[in-house]
Amino acid sequence: MFGSLKIAMVAIMITGIAGAGMYVMKLRSDNAILKANQLKLESAVAEQQELIASQKKDFEDILAANQKMNELVSVLKKDLTDLDKRFNKKNRDVGKLAIAKTKSIERITNGASALATRCIEIASGSPLTEKEKNATKKSEINSECPSIANPNYVPY
Amino acid sequence: MLILTTFLTSCAGVKTLEIFKKEVPRENLNLDKPTPLELENLRWIIITSENAEEVFKKLEEQGIDPVLWGLTDKDFEMLAKNFARIRNQLKITNDLLDKYKEYYETPVKKKQ
Repeated sequence: MFGSLKIAMVAIMITGIAGAGMYVMKLRSDNAILKANQLKLESAVAEQQELIASQKKDFEDILAANQKMNELVSVLKKDLTDLDKRFNKKNRDVGKLAIAKTKSIERITNGASALATRCIEIASGSPLTEKEKNATKKSEINSECPSIANPNYVPY
Repeated sequence: MLILTTFLTSCAGVKTLEIFKKEVPRENLNLDKPTPLELENLRWIIITSENAEEVFKKLEEQGIDPVLWGLTDKDFEMLAKNFARIRNQLKITNDLLDKYKEYYETPVKKKQ
């Protein structure tokens, strides 16, 4: 009677100890998995932050590029308006002027034509000369397209 | 026998198949930019009813055919403005191309 009770008790104790051992093993294994997950999450968060920073920089670059293009369009428009003014300022009639001062208008036309030709070269990607870069006075600039030919010229 | 078989199958060296993907960025187009234009300067001659004879005479003296393509003052103005518009468009297109190149072909350190 006592013999079988003892055996049962021992069996229960062994099962209990084995169960506890397995539970501890499982806990340790879960802990290891959780640690690995934590590392992965930390790394994912860092990567996401890097991605967000990179996207922010992209947006800034896009905005800056748009702004530059808008500025270019507006300065080029101004060049065109200035050209119109040269022809029609104060009801100026270039035809009548050319009849009255043929030689000087011919000289002015050829000078302006040469400058306009240079403007097209610049617009097509020709690099600026040092003289063009350093021009700051009205007498030094390319009056046909100062916005693209003379970056250091500030209209006065 | 059964135990031996179980041990042998458990220790067989079959490894988990790992398939990994690596994103390969698209190659840059890297086309050369067109060569900038080098234009010839042209000479404008203004002819009025008064100087026409003199102009043609000078042309003949210089060995140039006494023939001219004419524009009225208004047409000349329009030609000048048209050229200015073409020039502006050329500049905008060229700058746009530069911006695209700069944006898409500048190496960016990105972790995916």
